[in-house]
Amino acid sequence: MSVATQEKAKRPPSLLRAVAGAPRGLRWALLAAALAVTLWLPNGLYPAVAVDILCWALFAVAVDLLLGYTGLLSFGHAAFWGTSAYATGLVAIHAGVPFPVAVLAGALVAAALAAPIGYLAVRRTGIYFAMVTLAFAQMIYYIANNRRGLTGGENGLQSVPRELFGLDLTDAYYFYYAALPVVLLGLWAAWRIVHSPFGRVLVGIRDNPARARALGYPVHRYKLLAFVLSAFIAGLGGGLFAMAHRFVTLDTLHWTTSGKAVVMVVLGGIGTLWGGVLGAALLVRLEDWLSFSGFEAVGLVTGGLFIVVVLVFRRGLWGTAADLLRRRLNR
Amino acid sequence: MRKRATIVCSVALLLAGCGGGGPQGSSDSKLSGDRIVLGVLNDQSGVYLALSGTNSVKAVQMAIADFKAKHGGDAITDDITVETADHQNKPDIANTKAAEMYDRLSVDAILDVPTSSAALKVADVAKEKKKLYFNISGATTDLTGKSCNKYTFHYAYDTYMLANGTGKTVTEQGAKNWYIVYPNYAFGQDMEKSFSAAVTGAGGTIVGKDATPFPNDNFSTFLLKAPTLNPKPDVLGTMQAGGDLVNLVKQYNEFKLREKGVDLSVGLMFLTDIHSLTPAALAGTTYTDAWYWNFDAENRAFADRFLKETGSRPTFAHAANYSAALQYLEAVQAAGTDDADAVVKQLEGKDINDVFLRNGKIRAEDHRVIHDAYLAQVKPAAEVTEDWDYVKILKTIPAAEAFRTPSADCKL
Repeated sequence: MSVATQEKAKRPPSLLRAVAGAPRGLRWALLAAALAVTLWLPNGLYPAVAVDILCWALFAVAVDLLLGYTGLLSFGHAAFWGTSAYATGLVAIHAGVPFPVAVLAGALVAAALAAPIGYLAVRRTGIYFAMVTLAFAQMIYYIANNRRGLTGGENGLQSVPRELFGLDLTDAYYFYYAALPVVLLGLWAAWRIVHSPFGRVLVGIRDNPARARALGYPVHRYKLLAFVLSAFIAGLGGGLFAMAHRFVTLDTLHWTTSGKAVVMVVLGGIGTLWGGVLGAALLVRLEDWLSFSGFEAVGLVTGGLFIVVVLVFRRGLWGTAADLLRRRLNR
Repeated sequence: MRKRATIVCSVALLLAGCGGGGPQGSSDSKLSGDRIVLGVLNDQSGVYLALSGTNSVKAVQMAIADFKAKHGGDAITDDITVETADHQNKPDIANTKAAEMYDRLSVDAILDVPTSSAALKVADVAKEKKKLYFNISGATTDLTGKSCNKYTFHYAYDTYMLANGTGKTVTEQGAKNWYIVYPNYAFGQDMEKSFSAAVTGAGGTIVGKDATPFPNDNFSTFLLKAPTLNPKPDVLGTMQAGGDLVNLVKQYNEFKLREKGVDLSVGLMFLTDIHSLTPAALAGTTYTDAWYWNFDAENRAFADRFLKETGSRPTFAHAANYSAALQYLEAVQAAGTDDADAVVKQLEGKDINDVFLRNGKIRAEDHRVIHDAYLAQVKPAAEVTEDWDYVKILKTIPAAEAFRTPSADCKL
């Protein structure tokens, strides 16, 4: 990976010099390139895997919103991803609405759930915050497990319909493009939040909560709002995930799901927003590849990669690449 | 439908501005009668690795070799391959991999798939893609109940067969009072219900039953409670599996319940579980087995070959994978095509006897594959004279009694 990032920095010096005076132009170019890759993705990958990447990208960005920009490590975000997945599935099964409506409903349920959990959790920071969120996530897990009539218990919700104004979306290839607008909307929302005055206050709170409070900002309320917004975006991802697979299982609420999202953020780079997208793409693709590889220890590879990234690229892959690029531009 | 799809595609392409083609690999044109691909989708890195896992792939390869040897030049094709993937016990990965196997790797039939939620999802995919799926390691009776479909067959075992075999037979043999502990999730709850019904149906009594958290490592509350119940239970029936079973058995031995007159019956156990727990820890435990490698000369011959290939003796899941692959190939041979509908027609209602299926029959009503099952008991350590030969078969349960009658919920 280091070769690739170095290449990214080294390869087009002339191009960079040309746009060095206009970083805005460079940004647009990068955005266009990212969009092109996004639109091409299901042609290069198995479409169902591409859809998974979209869902997890939203989840990772939601976690980064809290971890990178508010300084809160939530270890229970699967609660919102999974709750939204179940809510989306139930809405789709019982109401038969177009899938974006079901996903939106799921995300709203997740946000509603986040309000009371967040209200209690944001009173703590650091490891205690992580533990409180984990505890709530485990509670939701056991509730879903025991309410078999509603959730199907361990067997999960099966045969969730995927519908959009009568269009046939059975094929994952078409579903990718149908789901993309929802994902882009979620990513744009995250970007707007981060680059709004509200987002700047969040960063201020992250860096020095005491000073933010002294300046008159209601710290808890800001954190709570960030928590709810993050849950909403995670919920969008979870709802889409339910739609993508057309079933929901307890796995979506399991604590390892929360862990996976955190790993994605760390791989991509904490506090970089788009790093989460990169981390999601990398991890989903890697797991997909490993399951066909005949290698008997999937965890060993993903775990090993995690250790290497944490040791070598402290700022994550995206963060390191951005650093190199910035240094080159400022030279 | 196609037209709509084209509209979606053109809109997408318009948005994309990219010249990508249609969905990849969704056409069936690659599938032809002169190539057969089998897919083994199971856990190759987690808790179910030992009981099925990569050794099942080897069992399927043995079936292919046997099929070729039997038919020689008359075989429908020489080109039979196995694809395999690790679903890591995650239903979402199972879903993607199953679709990918059918679509991209032109797999004609998927085998195995442990973990009920994953198995149910793969059955769904099989139905949608109209390709065959032989479930072996998934235990839920829903596969032949409300989630049954034309392209899914359920081999080997299910929760009803396990509970009925052990519960009914042990009760009939004199152990009337039962205390049941079960893990509180779908598998455990189903098992508890089936077990209670089997025990009371055979004239026994459930003197107590308790749900335990899952996963759990401390069963002392339940184990201390067992001998104090009134009337005192003759048997402790545990529905725990995997790591939980290991913990429970160790604690059962520490509390010396067998010496206190409470025997142990296990809902689901594989040969590999006994191997890792050691037979001494489980001596005297009864359970229902779908197949045992040292039951007769035919099984033993298969097990010897398997040992040479893999270095361990086969569990019933390995033998069932072998049998399912072989019977699928035979059905293709008989049908003269790998067209799923034609193969299903060949399989339905067929009576089969092979190394795994004794008095076997593929029921046409619900696609349950029925066969003789066995009540097994773990031998005392002193009687174990050979590695892997850990149990004695107390009773053969005839195929007709071993499985439930076709469920009214199943509409193929």
